[in-house]
Amino acid sequence: MKEDDDATLVRRCRNGDRAALEQLVMRYQKPVFNVALRLLRDSEDARDVAQTTFLKVFEHLGDYNPSFKFYSWIYRIAINESLNALGSRKPCEGLNGEEADTAPGPDRQLEGEQTGQAIEEALMRIKPELRAVVVLRHFMQLSYQDMGDILLLPEKTVKSRLYSARQLLRDRLLQRGAI
Amino acid sequence: MADSGRLALIHAEIDGELDGPQRAELARTLLADPEAQALREDLRRVCAALDALEEVDPPQQLRQSILDALPQSTPSRAPPWWSAPRLRHAALIAGVLAAGTIVYETLDGPRPATSDVAGTIATADTPTTVDTVRLGNGAVAGRVSLYRDRAGLGLEFELVASAPVDVLVASDGRTLGVNGLGVRDAPGGPRTTVALPGFGRSGEAVDVTFLMAGHEVGRATLRAPKDR
Repeated sequence: MKEDDDATLVRRCRNGDRAALEQLVMRYQKPVFNVALRLLRDSEDARDVAQTTFLKVFEHLGDYNPSFKFYSWIYRIAINESLNALGSRKPCEGLNGEEADTAPGPDRQLEGEQTGQAIEEALMRIKPELRAVVVLRHFMQLSYQDMGDILLLPEKTVKSRLYSARQLLRDRLLQRGAI
Repeated sequence: MADSGRLALIHAEIDGELDGPQRAELARTLLADPEAQALREDLRRVCAALDALEEVDPPQQLRQSILDALPQSTPSRAPPWWSAPRLRHAALIAGVLAAGTIVYETLDGPRPATSDVAGTIATADTPTTVDTVRLGNGAVAGRVSLYRDRAGLGLEFELVASAPVDVLVASDGRTLGVNGLGVRDAPGGPRTTVALPGFGRSGEAVDVTFLMAGHEVGRATLRAPKDR
């Protein structure tokens, strides 16, 4: 059976079609959960963010302008909710230009650790706004333009943040002998 | 060490964004600069490691818990006024012409980072309006009011716009935001209230920035008396 595109599903949702709503949840629960998980590194928090994201989406579905991509809208909400969740963990985290540090527990020796774990830890040690760009590029495979649309930033700023984030990750991973 | 231009070339190469001449320039750079070559290799390894991280399956019960939390009846509204082609075009043209002339109040403080957009929709409990700014005939029209209730300060928006409006609120170093306001069937349609927990306790100004598709289309500054 052919699946409806996002715009069709949204239109059906606005007409009160519960099945369309369920399809949107099915389609986006995994990417939304993963965006939140990569930003928060906590499965429980990511689940809460995913739930809140869908609630907000459906609360404002009547206001959604279909000339914009639905996934840009839902990812933007997911990122904002994740940043909210981070803010409630540690006020002012990463907002003052200093490098944030949200990794749980003390530094550990890298020996024996997988590169994947090392990079996840390094990710949590960069500012949330830099982490968001990495998540959209490397986990969601989005273009610079889509990232700009989601983050409400010019492409130039998106690139600048992405490059800075990668270099910070590289410095951390080199420091720990992970690359 | 590679300068910013060389770094940009290296990152663009990783992202598959280089054209022919840029590729040639990067090749020349790498040949002449062993440090740049090492940096490129490091960054490629970092990106490969990032790309190798696998997607995680959400908890089994997530879908059901989302569906359970959603209202049984989905929001069913008539198509918003901007979706009628003629009105949409007229509104967009008017918005473009007027966007540069919207003046609510001059804002002295720094503009909040757009990445800080995040907000909480809340219900006002017997609120008292303490300041109101009416928005002119620009891309965003309507009004924004600052109110106080038992929980503290909050904002109430009644906006009409040709596209969803994102709002950033900033005061005394705190920022929050709300997405997708302002597209209503008619002026005076449903209002949106936003609680501002912790804002304005010392009587600071509350700065509100309106954005459409990432572009600022207006600002307003509201003031509340000190919280006693």
